[in-house]
Amino acid sequence: MKRIWLAVVVLLLAGCGVQPSWVTAGGEAPTGVAPGVTLYFVDAHEQLRPQLRPTGHLGAISEAAALLLTGPGNSDLHTEIASQAVTQVVVTTTPGVIQLLVPLTIHDMSPLGIDQIVCTALGVHVQGGGARNMKVQVRFTQPTPESDKQRTCPLIR
Amino acid sequence: MSRRLWPRGLRARLLVAFVLVTVLGAVAAAWSSAGSASTALVTSTQQRLTETIVGQIGAITPQLTYPPDQGALDLLRAAVGTDTLVTYQNLRSVDGADLGLVTDALRTAVHTQNQLVTQRITVNGRPWLLVGTPITITAPDGTRTPSGIEVYTVRDLTDVEQQIDGLAGSAVSTAALAVPLAVLLALLAAGSVLRPVRELRDTARRLAAGDLDARTPPQGADELAELTVTLNEMAESVQTSMVAMQRMQADARRFAADVSHELRTPLSTLTAVVEVLATTADGMEADARESAQMAIIETHRLVRLVEDLMEVSRLDAGTASLRVEEVDVVGVVRDGLRARGWLDLVELVAPEEILLRLDRRRLDVIVANLVGNALRHGEPPVRLDISASREQVWIEVTDSGPGLPEHVLPHVFDRFYKADSARTRTPGSGLGLAIALENARLHGGDLTAGNSSGGGARFVLRLPRDLEDV
Amino acid sequence: MVAILLIEDDPLVRRGLQLALSRHGHEVRTADTGEGGLREFHSATPDLVVLDLMLPGIDGFEVCRRIRAASEVPVIMLTARGDDFDVVGGLAAGADDYVIKPAQPTVLDARIRAVLRRSTSTPDGVRTHRDLHIDTTALTVSLHGKPVQLTPTELRLLLTLSRAPGRVFSRQQLLEEVWEHDYLGDSRLVDNCVQRLRAKIEANPATPEYVQTVRGFGYRFGPV
Repeated sequence: MKRIWLAVVVLLLAGCGVQPSWVTAGGEAPTGVAPGVTLYFVDAHEQLRPQLRPTGHLGAISEAAALLLTGPGNSDLHTEIASQAVTQVVVTTTPGVIQLLVPLTIHDMSPLGIDQIVCTALGVHVQGGGARNMKVQVRFTQPTPESDKQRTCPLIR
Repeated sequence: MSRRLWPRGLRARLLVAFVLVTVLGAVAAAWSSAGSASTALVTSTQQRLTETIVGQIGAITPQLTYPPDQGALDLLRAAVGTDTLVTYQNLRSVDGADLGLVTDALRTAVHTQNQLVTQRITVNGRPWLLVGTPITITAPDGTRTPSGIEVYTVRDLTDVEQQIDGLAGSAVSTAALAVPLAVLLALLAAGSVLRPVRELRDTARRLAAGDLDARTPPQGADELAELTVTLNEMAESVQTSMVAMQRMQADARRFAADVSHELRTPLSTLTAVVEVLATTADGMEADARESAQMAIIETHRLVRLVEDLMEVSRLDAGTASLRVEEVDVVGVVRDGLRARGWLDLVELVAPEEILLRLDRRRLDVIVANLVGNALRHGEPPVRLDISASREQVWIEVTDSGPGLPEHVLPHVFDRFYKADSARTRTPGSGLGLAIALENARLHGGDLTAGNSSGGGARFVLRLPRDLEDV
Repeated sequence: MVAILLIEDDPLVRRGLQLALSRHGHEVRTADTGEGGLREFHSATPDLVVLDLMLPGIDGFEVCRRIRAASEVPVIMLTARGDDFDVVGGLAAGADDYVIKPAQPTVLDARIRAVLRRSTSTPDGVRTHRDLHIDTTALTVSLHGKPVQLTPTELRLLLTLSRAPGRVFSRQQLLEEVWEHDYLGDSRLVDNCVQRLRAKIEANPATPEYVQTVRGFGYRFGPV
């Protein structure tokens, strides 16, 4: 009889309050730190190549895009985006799609140049903890059907 | 629980059982619902807290210099909130408050698991949520490596606990509400069970008290109804056999009474004529005279026997009436002895006078039987003591014979009991002591047989003084 | 020679008692029914009647009542022992005494003689108490100058009580003196006889002038 009462009391107590627990997994760890930002340029064989620009931090997509527009600097890589004085890129992130408004026209770059922008933006997104299946929409200053295309980076699948 | 605490009454037991079952049921239901609710509450709270922390960290990490310096760590700590510690190799954020709470198990998990971990602890009665997480570096291709930065933070769960306590409290009050209802139901149930039980008990009592007509109408078709039917059947058979037995007894008594009555008429004739015979016996021849004398003696014996039988019949039938008047017991006893010529044979020890309300003739019958018995079966001297207290009067008749053997004592008042089978021809009818006993009882007294310390048989008649009501 | 009328239905008992009482020197006539007994009573005028209560036709109680209505002749009834109904009814009907059956002739004879002795005179003259005159020689009683008819038992009771006015007689004493019974005499005989006596001499029997009851003890003669 004593044991039954003990069990009842234990059960009653178990129903009350917040119970301590063991260490339990609580999901993915946050991410986003990086020694620098990765920009994508083109090598001699017309292949996209990542280039780590040691900025000390990952930064935002707009920063990375602005750095990309300034060119590869002293390197054996080149860019296929026409050089511009204005490098400000407006970034709008909606669910599933990152929109980049570049201060250029479709004529200022080759398709590979578009991939450079897409890969750089997607890389920053992924490094900041974002999903890899994000689409990227590159909008140009002059109206063109290319502005509505949702693109993916061939290097980041 | 000791047996003493368990109530004896059926009603109380039912009540306790009912209340226990109800309370246990209510508590179990309330506990399980409160339990699942509190689990859900804790889980969702925990998830919300970790998501907030992950969001807070994720919002600032892209701007954080890596490898971090002291400033970066402090910045991160400020973003996550107070009670937070950020470490990187040997660096640790300043201003990280009370982190003694963080357990070694949590630290180890953060070091090894490369993911966010949580642990709930209770310290000094306050519940806390510990969250620990490493910050990872994600390569562009998605591979993650530990950055070496670790964030530990502590969140107070007191609010959650209070909500859970509220849930438990409402569960307890719900159970408490059920208790009076359970008591009411238990009383109703106990009543419906106990009423037939009580009726059965009353019937059984009435049966035991001699009311053989007592029955309980069975209700329903349960075990109690079966018991009732069985009890009724038992009462029926007892009644049947009792009635049969009473009829047989009554028949036997009536037979005895009828026989005695029928014998009386021829005995009247015999009694009348044997005296004529006696007065002429002197002129007869010896054998004829002896025959006449035997006829006289046997006729008188027969008369006494028939009278005693009729007296016993009346006593048995309860028609013997008590004619009570105030008499002097000593006087009646002395007169009785004198009338029978026993004054010289009996030593009478008595006070001057004892006034008592009783039936004079019946007292004489008792004393005559006791003294006659002592004179016939015992040896002289026979002693008769009369004594009195405020409530009782005792009349003791003691003889100086060998006394009554042990095996005879229980039977001395039996009808026609002869102690000595060889001595069957005694002048007594064999009913004398039985009649004496019945007469004593008719007076509310009694008559006992035993042996005196001197060895002789001793009979004690006890009569109550307050016979006013009889 | 006392003339006795024996009324008894059983022929053998009747004959047996007749034989035995004759032996004791009585002249015994018999009757076997109540009607026959009454007829015999009126034609033979016996000194005393011995009456069995259980009779075919009109029963002993009725016979006793009719005899008592016509005469003061003593009546002794034969009853069964312990049959109080018989005793009470018989005494109420006016019987003077009773003998329990089976009656021993010697006992019956003693009772007969006792009843008859009650009318024996004592020569001490006339006792006068207020309006009541008792002539103990002539054995007559008169109230307000008118003669009162008493049975021998009633007369002997009155004589006994009035012999010592104011003295209390216990029932037992009266039984022994008047009825000549032993210590086991039936006190109802006394009570019944007193009632009948009062009915004859008292103006109001409920508040008697001459025969007073002494509660729990007996009776005495005289004013309250």
